[in-house]
Formats: sequence, structure tokens, C-alpha cells
Amino acid sequence: MSKGIRFYQEPRLDKPDLVAAWPGIGSIGIIALNMLREVLEAEPFAEIEPWRFSYPHSLSIKNGELESLKFPESKFYFKRTGTKDLLLFIGGEQPSEVMKGYEMTNLVLDVALNLGCQRVYTAAAAVAPIHHTLRPRVWAVPNRQELVAEARRYRNTILMGDMEGRGGQGAITGLNGLLLGVAKSRGLPGICLLGEIPIYIAQFPMPYPKASKSILEVLTANLGLTVDLSSLDEQAQEVERNIERFYHLIPEEVRQRIDQLKHVGYTKEEKPGVITEEDKKRILQEVEEFFKKGGKQD
Amino acid sequence: MSEWHSFKIYSTPRLQNPCLIVGWSQDVGGLGPKAIDFLIRKLRPQEFAQLNPAGFFSLAGVPVEGDVLQFPQSKFYSCEEKNLLLFQSSGPGQSHYEFLMLLLDVVEQICKVKEFYTLGGIISLMSHTSPRRVSSVVNQPQLKKPLAEYGVNTNLEYETPIGARPTLSSFLLWVAQKRNIAGANLWTEVPFYLAALEDPRACKQVLSVLDQRLDLGIDFAELDQEIEQQNRQIAALKEQEGDVHRYLTMLERGIMLSEKESETLASKVAEFLQKRG
Repeated sequence: MSKGIRFYQEPRLDKPDLVAAWPGIGSIGIIALNMLREVLEAEPFAEIEPWRFSYPHSLSIKNGELESLKFPESKFYFKRTGTKDLLLFIGGEQPSEVMKGYEMTNLVLDVALNLGCQRVYTAAAAVAPIHHTLRPRVWAVPNRQELVAEARRYRNTILMGDMEGRGGQGAITGLNGLLLGVAKSRGLPGICLLGEIPIYIAQFPMPYPKASKSILEVLTANLGLTVDLSSLDEQAQEVERNIERFYHLIPEEVRQRIDQLKHVGYTKEEKPGVITEEDKKRILQEVEEFFKKGGKQD
Repeated sequence: MSEWHSFKIYSTPRLQNPCLIVGWSQDVGGLGPKAIDFLIRKLRPQEFAQLNPAGFFSLAGVPVEGDVLQFPQSKFYSCEEKNLLLFQSSGPGQSHYEFLMLLLDVVEQICKVKEFYTLGGIISLMSHTSPRRVSSVVNQPQLKKPLAEYGVNTNLEYETPIGARPTLSSFLLWVAQKRNIAGANLWTEVPFYLAALEDPRACKQVLSVLDQRLDLGIDFAELDQEIEQQNRQIAALKEQEGDVHRYLTMLERGIMLSEKESETLASKVAEFLQKRG
């Protein structure tokens, strides 16, 4: 087994799928994974030795002696669900160096492949021109052409090719995307599920559990699991109350522009609603420009 | 460790389980670099190795400070007469663990180091006329007793506050502990208004501890002169500036300054001392 992994136990699993996430925008992937771990009561079985990937985040000195130095934890969990065996990987921090990120994703896949993993899912955020009162959709990005048809069948899900002006292209930054790329090169199929977060929320250090729920709805349906996600609703409501408080501090003129996102779609199939295509482009551009300037008016 | 992570060695020092003193270039009160520079001047050690900067420092550009181009350096020195090693370096910007492992590879595998001491300043709300206290953090308990004999506070309690992160010296102490190499971080108090300048008194205080512990036979006359000069200069400023006089008097009486008062004192002392070189 790979150097750099510490095992507590080695579970015997039947062709498990791996679901992985690292911290990112809105903590969307991490919230989804932690929720899944909790409701499934998944068991920890290994961790990545963190010191090569992360700087320590805390120190404890007792009576003049170094007692402990703590690092962000990156742990593996497993669960035999009855329908599907599962591996979960919850990363504590994305390494700041690209090569270390590459190395870490390979370590995760070493563990998964050694346990017979058949497929990988990652969970992350998709920054989108949507309004926070709308139900976030999920962007699905498979790492193989043959998974595109499957991803199209997922509920409340869109593909890059469905988006206006993208031509099926885009990029996923960070390890949630890199893991799937490395999985592809190692012959492992996978899909990245990205929950939508409004562009005006994404730049704040605020969790967005509503998008985590959208991801979990797709993921659990795909894995044949029935799980209670009601505690995510409570978290989402609390966050939404905070957003509303902040929303009313935004200048009226800007708020009106953002409000139009309730009626504006950015995918090809969506109807233009009450405004023209030209209006739609202008609104998206104005909102984007406003927030690029750090939310300051001219 | 990648192919970039490497060191150059020019000669193998003939030492018997030496001790190592580590100083980082960026330090409160200029303590680490000042103390190591002082030891280099006094003990005239030989530079024998260096860590290559690639992989540890961003080499996308080189900074210029005070009109002079800077480049990260991580150098090892040996003093056979005192059975001593010195390491002076900038703190790496990335691959911290590999950097510390490489440092320990050189001193453990090539020099068979016995124990090490890191130097560092800690900001204190004290007056410059008060004695500086040195506190230690050890990675093996047997180091506490000898350090306590030289007046070091060996009972420190500390938890990283929210928003802060451990120092590189703490990380080194932990990495060394995993490799069973005994070491201590020596933290010396520096008055807050000297933190961005130099504090020769703090420097002398920690070097006095090491002088006794490692039997270095250091002549401190040069540092004594610096301390005297700095005290004289601050006394002159105190006479000239009513604010400075009041704030320093308050500190000497153990009265806390407000944030604004502290800022005023620090900026006036810095401006005055920098003008006088």
C-alpha cells in the first residue's frame, strides 16, 4: 500500500464507488460529504499523513513541552449500504502546490483502487448567475464520453454543453476536478457533481448547504440510497435568513438587477421569461461587473 | 521529496555530536539573523553546505529591499573549535516539511548533531529598560532542567489562537521529535516598539543562555555597546518628545497603553532610531 497513508483497518468491500471532496467555494462539497458520512454512519478506516501536504494549523505547549502539532485531517470512510458499497474521502485542505495536489489525488486513488473501486464521484461548487431563492441545479461533468448519456438522465442536472455560449467547454479548478482527471488517466470512470451557488454569494466565506442538498439528491438516487436530508434543509434555511439580511443592505438599484436573476436562465432550453435576450446579457454582465468591483458602486 | 529538493555540501566538518543553532531571516526584533551574524563574526565558523532554494522558494522573481536585490539563502556553518553548527535561512514559501527534513538530514546524517536550539523573538508589552525573559519549548523533557539552570522559563503554556498558525521553529521541533533529535525553541521577549527594528538586549540575553549551555566563551562587548547606544538614543527621544516620555514612563510602571498610544510610540521610536542608522 502507498507510503503516506495510515490505516486503522482494511475493510473488505465489494466493488465500491468512491465519493470525494475537498474544501472549496461555499463548502458545498464538504457539507455534502459530511452529511453523507453522518447519515450513513460511515466508519473511518484510513487517513493521509498530512505533513507533506499542509502546514500545521495549531500547536499545543504544556509545561514547556511540545505536546502536539495539528494538521488539517484528510480521512477515508467506508459503508456497506446493502445496495452499494461506498468509500468516502473527505479532504481537510487543498494543497497549495500543484504537484502536491497531483500526488494527493494519486494517493486517494491508490487506496480506492486497492479496495476494488469502480467509479469516482466528486462534489464541488458551480458559480452561476442564479438567484439565491431558486433551487440550485447540479452541473455534471463526466470524465468519459460514455457517461454523458447517463448524466443527462439525472434530475435537476445540466451539462456544460447545455449552457449558453460554452460549447460544452469549461474548467474545474482544484482537486475536485483534478481527482477525476487523474482517475481518467488511471482508467477509472467518474463524474464531478457541482452544485450551483449564486455569483454574488460565492465570493463570501459563507456555506451554501442548499447546493449540497442538490448534489446529494443526484448522488443518492444514483447510488440507490434513501437518506434523510432534512437537517440540510434546516441549515439551508438558516443560511438563507443570513443572506436575506445581507441582501437588504445592498443598494436598491443593484438589488433590482440581482432580482432579475429570478427570471433569467443561462441555459439553452430555458425560456427568456419577461425580458429579452439582450436584457438578459446586460443583466448578467452588470451583476458580474458589480461584484468584480467588490460590490462597490461607481 | 522531489528532484529539486537538494543540498550542496562543500566539506564535511570534523565534529563530535555537535549542537546546532538555527536562526530565521525574518524575526521579531531581528533576533535570529542578528544573533547568527554575531556568532559568525565572533566564532568565525566555516560555511560548509547550503540547501538549494528551488522547490522551497518562489523563483518567479527576485525581490529588491532597501535598493538591494535579495535572494533566499539557507546556509550551514561549522565551528570545529566549539563543536558547533549554525544554520541561517529565510523561511521557505512552500514544501515546509521537506525543507525541515532536508535541514535535519544534513545535520543528523553528515554531522551527527546531538541537539539544536532555534532562536526567535516574541513581542512583549514591556519597556526596553526591563530585563528580557527567555522561555523555552522542548521536544524532549530532559532539556528542560539544564535550560532552567540558566534562568530560562521552562514552564510555558500555549495554544495557537484562532487566526494564527504555528511558527516554522515549532514545526522543526515537531519534525525533529519524530526523528528523535532533541531540540528547544528559545523565545526571547522583545518590546513591541522594537519589534520591527533590532533589539540587541534580547539578542544578548538569548546568546548568554547559549554561551553558558554550550560553553562558547563569547565576548559580548560589541553587543553591550549597541545596547548602551540604543538606550542612550531612546533616552534622548524621551527627553525631546512629551508623548514618548509619557508612554515609556507608563510602561515602566506596568501601565498598559491603548492601541493608539502603542502605535504612536512604535512609529516615533522607529523614525528616530532609523534616522540615526
